[in-house]
Amino acid sequence: MKRVEVKLSLPVVAPLLDMIRELSIELEKSLAAPQALHDLDQEFRGAWIGELLEGQNEDLRSLLSLFGADFFSEGVVAFDEANAEHIVRACTAVRLQLRERRMKSLDDDALETGDIDMEGLEEPVRKAFMCYLFLATVQELIIEHLDSSIIGS
Amino acid sequence: MAESRTSTRTETRSSPDLQLDAGWRVVVLNDPVNLMSYVVMVFKKVLGFSEAKARKHMLEVHEQGRSVVWIGVRETAEAHVFTLHQWHLTAVVEPDETR
Repeated sequence: MKRVEVKLSLPVVAPLLDMIRELSIELEKSLAAPQALHDLDQEFRGAWIGELLEGQNEDLRSLLSLFGADFFSEGVVAFDEANAEHIVRACTAVRLQLRERRMKSLDDDALETGDIDMEGLEEPVRKAFMCYLFLATVQELIIEHLDSSIIGS
Repeated sequence: MAESRTSTRTETRSSPDLQLDAGWRVVVLNDPVNLMSYVVMVFKKVLGFSEAKARKHMLEVHEQGRSVVWIGVRETAEAHVFTLHQWHLTAVVEPDETR
């Protein structure tokens, strides 16, 4: 099984974990990307959302489990075929929630191009943006190294 | 769609898969959060696209705000949309009024 280990900077990443946990709790009962489902009847819509929420929570549990004892002792996290898909999706869920709940003040265009002056941001938004970038980096690492595992699974 | 560090640009246009009993289409809409590389991976995974086709549709979403990624029977269209929702892409089913 292909496995990718990444050594992270504990002083940089550890402060972001509280924010990721907080957002994961917010996402327990709401979808990261609410969808327009008005064409579906109520019962079908309820089942649709329920199943999406169940999967979203499973993904978030995988993401949070990365940051266990190994991470706090060595700063190492590991991705493999078993967790890559869950983690890459969970990163998206948290990034969407960050955008919606912590980074509303940022312009869509600036967010798309990444043209944002970090020094000019207020502290809570700056921390949210750091978290947003960190999760994007995790996604890029997984896609670069485990893309074929995810697509083939 | 958020730009990844390795994005490239192509000028080709999309041509969605056409089923014989087509009647409904799956449309993916742009968002400012998802990485280009992520969207390409999702299209490959969910819709079975080649790298080139996935990239072509991703760029269409990015530049035009939407891309028709599949056309066919409603039940299958809804199944695709559900899976795209699992991957947090904004996707809808629309009647195919071009026929």
